[in-house]
Amino acid sequence: MATTTAAIPVRATRSYRPIWAWYAALVVLMAWGLAAWIDELRYGLAATGMRDVVSWGMYIFTFAFFIGLSAGGLIMASSAEVFGIKALKPLSRLGVLSAAACVAVAALMIIPDLGQPFRVGNIFIHPNWTSPLIWDILIITVYFVFSIVDLYVLQRHAAEPSRWKTVARVMAYVGLPTAILLHSVTAWIFGLQIARSWWNTSLMAPLFVVSAVLSGTALVTLLALCAQRFGKVELSQETRKWLRGFIVISLFVDLFFVGADYITVLWGNVPADRSALNLVLPGGPWAWLFWIEWIVGGVIPLAFLLVPRLKKMPGALGLAAFLVIVGVYAFRIELVVLGFVNPLTQFPPGNAVGTYNVQTSSFQLIGRYHPTWVELGIVIGLVALFAALITIGYRALHVMEPSPAAGHRHARMPAETKASS
Amino acid sequence: MAAKKTSIPHHVMVIDTNRCVGCWSCAIACKQVNNEPLGYFWNRVLTTAPNQSTTAKAPASNNMDVPWGTYPDCELAYLPVACQQCNDAPCVKVCPVQATFRRDDGTVLIDYNRCIGCRYCMAACPYGVRIFNWGDSNYAPGGVVGYGKEYSTEDRLVFTPERPKGVVEKCTFCVERIDVGELPFCVEACPLGARIFGDLNDPDSQVSKLVNNGGGEQLHPELGTDPNVYYLPVARRVPGES
Ligand code: SF4
Ligand code: SF4
Repeated sequence: MATTTAAIPVRATRSYRPIWAWYAALVVLMAWGLAAWIDELRYGLAATGMRDVVSWGMYIFTFAFFIGLSAGGLIMASSAEVFGIKALKPLSRLGVLSAAACVAVAALMIIPDLGQPFRVGNIFIHPNWTSPLIWDILIITVYFVFSIVDLYVLQRHAAEPSRWKTVARVMAYVGLPTAILLHSVTAWIFGLQIARSWWNTSLMAPLFVVSAVLSGTALVTLLALCAQRFGKVELSQETRKWLRGFIVISLFVDLFFVGADYITVLWGNVPADRSALNLVLPGGPWAWLFWIEWIVGGVIPLAFLLVPRLKKMPGALGLAAFLVIVGVYAFRIELVVLGFVNPLTQFPPGNAVGTYNVQTSSFQLIGRYHPTWVELGIVIGLVALFAALITIGYRALHVMEPSPAAGHRHARMPAETKASS
Repeated sequence: MAAKKTSIPHHVMVIDTNRCVGCWSCAIACKQVNNEPLGYFWNRVLTTAPNQSTTAKAPASNNMDVPWGTYPDCELAYLPVACQQCNDAPCVKVCPVQATFRRDDGTVLIDYNRCIGCRYCMAACPYGVRIFNWGDSNYAPGGVVGYGKEYSTEDRLVFTPERPKGVVEKCTFCVERIDVGELPFCVEACPLGARIFGDLNDPDSQVSKLVNNGGGEQLHPELGTDPNVYYLPVARRVPGES
């Protein structure tokens, strides 16, 4: 690590100190998350905002979100190889690194959600193979191991391209279906449930795959732009064009799928489906999700990616990528929480909440949910862990290639490339 | 199969909605025998209209005991709902660790020692009857302790006197009572005899007659969960007609 920074005399002093401030900030946030988790262990899940009507909350939608983020990297790395997109090859290792980090953080996100976290071993002792959750844990494990191995292979491939070429190709071909399977199985945790009409659609798996490609590509774009800002790499126009194309197409498909689902529910007008959708349409209590999804994460990024004048602005791509990620997060909230807010049996007084409060009823007909500081703390701590994994991985492995135009033959450190060219 | 029929009963409950007056005695009895803390209801009585077994239209009000319709054409009925003890239970299918299991008599139970508290079963249950123990139990002062012992069946712990933190629970059909030939406590507590419990394998039992010939209906039959709780619809709509 030290050699990288030392090798570039001009930037050395400028990039050395901020990195430790960055690490320090991340450590503080992770410590906060750990403290929040210890608090939760003491008081139980009563420390969260979840109750019996909305019984899954921030942990689960952030889990689904991180699973989605992990897609882009691997799909991009694999399609660079499978479809021979040269301009994306320089991002391969960064993509696979972000896939590994995202899926690890997603898996950790489940632990604080458990009421009995120390019994998590039961999953391996008494697996129930009819449960989508078991299949998801299996595919998450496979995916994590795969991305670590893939990272190693790409690392070796960068060093000795001729020897590792075939292996890298095989990994790319395996990677694509693995990524699609991961998102489908995660979607089926929700999509197979007959109890929640909001979830119970065969569109769920395709929707998860496309929103995963969308948010994952946006994440890799952001990371690559960060690398360009703080590292010594340059993204070529060609690479930017491909990233923009990936985001635009997957954003269109994503909005199309969500819109198609809305139309189906609106036209059918089945009470159980309608009452869930009404909550999120303009005028409903959850309409802010609709606006974030369609305007902040839909129309605005499309404008910044497509309108020629806006497209040329510096930072347009980064801004669009960031907004897209915000939009996908809103979609995850909408998906998970609204499935619960509106229980199938809609007779008063509703479902028991599971807590007693002098002022309010112990029943809710329409569920309510606000995350508490404990949930926010744990999620922020895990996001900090993700940032730390990416930073360390980036610096230790030199996953970005200095000059994308040169392709994958020139790997290693910027200093070396400079010397050789 | 014939031998099995005589040895293992098939426990079902029939609820006569024509007799139910919405007094919540069963819900309170359930709280007492199972020592459910404040805010917990394994069993609850929903306000509905006669012959409204599913949500075909929006309820009359968000408050309980509000009749449907406009005066003077008002209708009111009650739907007591606890775990429906589904034969094809979504909660059993989704539990990742087989903590929720179905006994051969049809009761669906939870192994308190195995449940990891993932709450997937709560997401999967169509009837909203599963209750998670979020934190330390908050008991009313001098609350009744009820059964007050641990109970295990098939070597699995399915009842404890205090609600165990971090696991999911629900109606057990009072497994500790029915295993010694007693009735579930809500059946005993109902002042109007609206709850009938028995063995569906016995063709002469009252429940068999009601389920087979008396018009017993399941809740949300379209979901295919095949519950072991049946509801007798309100037969007559005009007050005064016998
Ligand atoms: S009613 Fe719900 S908790 Fe009870 S058996 Fe059916 S799915 Fe499971
Ligand atoms: S909360 Fe417990 S009973 Fe329910 S699915 Fe998870 S492990 Fe099974």
